[in-house]
Amino acid sequence: MDAPPPPTPGTNGAVLRVDGLRVAYDHARGAVHAVDDVSFSLRPHERFGLAGESGSGKSTMALAILRMIKPPGRIEGGEVWLEDISLSQLAPEAMRRLRLAGIAMVPQGSMNSLNPVLRIRDQIGDALADHGGKLARRELAARVGSLLGQVGLAPEMGGKYPHELSGGMKQRACIAIAICLRPKVIIADEPTSALDVVVQRQVMQTLGRVQADLGAAVILVGHDMGLMAQFVDRLGIMYAGRLVEVAPIHDIIAAPRHPYTRLLIDSLPSLEHKGGLRGIPGLAPLLRDLPPGCAFHPRCPAAEARCRVEKPAVRPMGPGATVACHLA
Amino acid sequence: MTPLIELRDVTKTFSGGVLGRERKVALERFSFTIDPDRPRVTAVVGESGSGKTTLARLLLGLIQPTEGQVRFNGRALPALSAAGRRDFRHHVQAIFQDPYEVYNPFYRVDHVLATPVRKFRLARSKAAGHALIEDALRAVGLQPEEILGRFPHQLSGGQRQRIMVARALLLRPRLIVADEPVSMVDASLRATILGSLRKLHEELGISILYITHDLATAYQVADSILVLYRAAVAEAGDVEPVVKAPQHPYTQLLIGSIPRVSTVRDWATEQPRAERDVSATGCKFADRCPSAMPRCLTATPPLFQTAPNRAAACFLYADAPALPAGQVATVLMSA
Repeated sequence: MDAPPPPTPGTNGAVLRVDGLRVAYDHARGAVHAVDDVSFSLRPHERFGLAGESGSGKSTMALAILRMIKPPGRIEGGEVWLEDISLSQLAPEAMRRLRLAGIAMVPQGSMNSLNPVLRIRDQIGDALADHGGKLARRELAARVGSLLGQVGLAPEMGGKYPHELSGGMKQRACIAIAICLRPKVIIADEPTSALDVVVQRQVMQTLGRVQADLGAAVILVGHDMGLMAQFVDRLGIMYAGRLVEVAPIHDIIAAPRHPYTRLLIDSLPSLEHKGGLRGIPGLAPLLRDLPPGCAFHPRCPAAEARCRVEKPAVRPMGPGATVACHLA
Repeated sequence: MTPLIELRDVTKTFSGGVLGRERKVALERFSFTIDPDRPRVTAVVGESGSGKTTLARLLLGLIQPTEGQVRFNGRALPALSAAGRRDFRHHVQAIFQDPYEVYNPFYRVDHVLATPVRKFRLARSKAAGHALIEDALRAVGLQPEEILGRFPHQLSGGQRQRIMVARALLLRPRLIVADEPVSMVDASLRATILGSLRKLHEELGISILYITHDLATAYQVADSILVLYRAAVAEAGDVEPVVKAPQHPYTQLLIGSIPRVSTVRDWATEQPRAERDVSATGCKFADRCPSAMPRCLTATPPLFQTAPNRAAACFLYADAPALPAGQVATVLMSA
């Protein structure tokens, strides 16, 4: 492991700062990097999207921020700051306390993340008890009721078991758990991928509303560019473990700088005109067998000679924007 | 003309709960035909629980209707002779949602391709059968040498799903029922798989029933569309007008809920839900409908034929003639 450069303390007004984060998985032929030198920061209240194909490293990234990478994976380097706390310096117990209280996660597939044999109110109660000491019964009931109200669930839903709730209700219950300790950052990993569009819109609106009430920042991990366009303030695009482009959402949709971003946007089928069914040529590369130079060059319609040999550096492109492409 | 497949006034109910006392209607009085002479790509869209997978399973003969009949070449499925059943197995093919579950992990993927060649005697010799398989793989954009001899776990989800399309292609069926074939596949591959389905239709005249919750891909792939809401057809017709100018308030809600890739944020407004008492005989959408009228709370709207190739089950269109029960297929066939 390379010694990381001494990090600058604090986050310059950012609520979360990720600096040179690297996650490695050991493999027979050497380590592969699921997250490779990723840096970005999140302003308070900001909604930040992380998009990419499966295997691009976006979920690994979310887990790495929470220091929840399991062996054989490991965080190989880099630093994550939550305001002025350096997460990599925290003792495991302090890190455990910071999860949920400081950074909460709404996991992918709410169906499977709730405990099937506990009532919703007890799952919320567990989370509160684990982090803040046990509440008296009445106090707990009031707290659970108000949390459920915040996510648009009736108070009696607290008495239900997960299997008695619809997918959208379960996802709301997960949001209620995520916000129960008023975290500063909420990471939502494909929170609506299993839901219908109508329910998706309702759940995302709920997430947006509680986020605004709390003043928290949100990282939305996903692959649906439409959802990103409608929800986030700024979008980061991941490819083969690297953050290849970051820009404010309006700019990135209107004029993407990275050819991969362009293809991702175009691969969303249009509702306006037929014949708009376009894929991205080729396949996402295997991390253990990345092409030399820019990892995207074999699929890139604009690739030039230098793209095949020289790995593009991440360059700043104005406020809140970066790109890693020789052609941008 | 005998339809290839016909659902005649089919109702499917499932029982659940303690002692099976709760009954859930998964599909209600549904009629539909597939004309062998006019192959079409028909999309069936709806939310989970709308009955779309039940429809697929009925069409494939995997479940039996509670009431009504599923007929193949004019005969009810249970009454088919051995030869008729064999014909049915040949000409009605399925592509399922999960490209991981349909493979037996102990067999090489060749197995799913070689079995139909053998069972349906598609080739005269082993070499001819092999050539057939290779052609089918190439037709869906796969390299036979990268696929054959592999085990399922050695291939990606997209590759596995394309093998299922290749398998359907081998059999040259009359109908492919594709139930959410791309919902577990990355956007980049979605286009390839749907494109090869569309190609099967265009080049070989295969009818396709594309079942999905994704209206945008339905619009891209299908000629006509059926929108299901809670076990019944809400709207049906040519895909272009239905998607561009939906008539049923449910279809409008569905299309308005799709987040668009646009610099315009037009997605954020939530419609407050009206609290209404709807009787069991009322319109199923009345409790959430922004345009519900008093009659919607007590009566079920039939499908009103609002144009030659469109119908909507909504009293807003009560001036249009009501389609006779079971005639939804008439608006799905364009001239």
